[in-house]
Amino acid sequence: MNIYKYASPTMFYPLAGKIIPWFAWPAGILFALGIFVGFFIAPTDFQQGDAYRIIFIHVPASWLAMFLYVLMALYAGVGWAFNARLASMMASSLSITGAMFTFLSLVTGAFWGKPTWGTWWVWDARMTSTLILLFLYIGFISLQSSIDDARRADRAGAVLALVGVINVPIIYFSVQWWNTLHQGATIRILQKPTIHGSMLWAMLIMLAACWLYSVAVVLIRLRCIILEREQNARAFAEVAV
Amino acid sequence: MNWPDLSMGGYGFYVWGSYLFSLIAIVWELVSLNHRKKAQSRAQKRVSPGIFERNY
Repeated sequence: MNIYKYASPTMFYPLAGKIIPWFAWPAGILFALGIFVGFFIAPTDFQQGDAYRIIFIHVPASWLAMFLYVLMALYAGVGWAFNARLASMMASSLSITGAMFTFLSLVTGAFWGKPTWGTWWVWDARMTSTLILLFLYIGFISLQSSIDDARRADRAGAVLALVGVINVPIIYFSVQWWNTLHQGATIRILQKPTIHGSMLWAMLIMLAACWLYSVAVVLIRLRCIILEREQNARAFAEVAV
Repeated sequence: MNWPDLSMGGYGFYVWGSYLFSLIAIVWELVSLNHRKKAQSRAQKRVSPGIFERNY
């Protein structure tokens, strides 16, 4: 089987249509399971009380905000370097979901900050760099939509996405590099997590749900972008649908 | 299994507010995608035969 044929938007379009349900339905199931474990199984935190339950949406949203940006920059870079149309379309598709998760990360963080820190917002390194991430997403989306020629829009967007990727490690390490109000990482790959097992499970299930949701939504949007951009829609529809 | 206290120990506004906001964001994304798909299919139907052949 030649997998490279799926680098063509025309060939990828029907494949994406087939795999979307395999991500969408498990995402819904895992969202329900994550909420159940987070609210019915995980115990109340002895310091923060029930306010800590915001982490089950805040942490996955924050991780995805960063991860989707890196993925978007990677696809934009590949699209630019190899003139791969599908990669550039994928970057465009990722940008809106990434912006949505960044916005969610900031809003849920504010909802968590008010009861625990006593303020909705401070110009803390972690929060400020996350706000810059949201501006980078908005800049990418605005730049792409302001240029009529799709190929030029892809190239301009790729430059912005690749330059902006420097902000991701700044967000991640900001709590170590600066003395911030935001707490440090609770979960590290090489160390034992410092939170209760059921809290960790709820967070990981919600992370998986958000990830599956992102894949499904990005693929649905990618199919729209493919159809919008394909110039000979009639011929394309005959082949793909 | 613990039945959660709906008031979340006095933090209900913040906990439910954050989940409500997340739900609104997800529903907004799905609805806007659906609109985009519908607009796209309407645009395809509007295109009269032969236009693409003339242009390309």
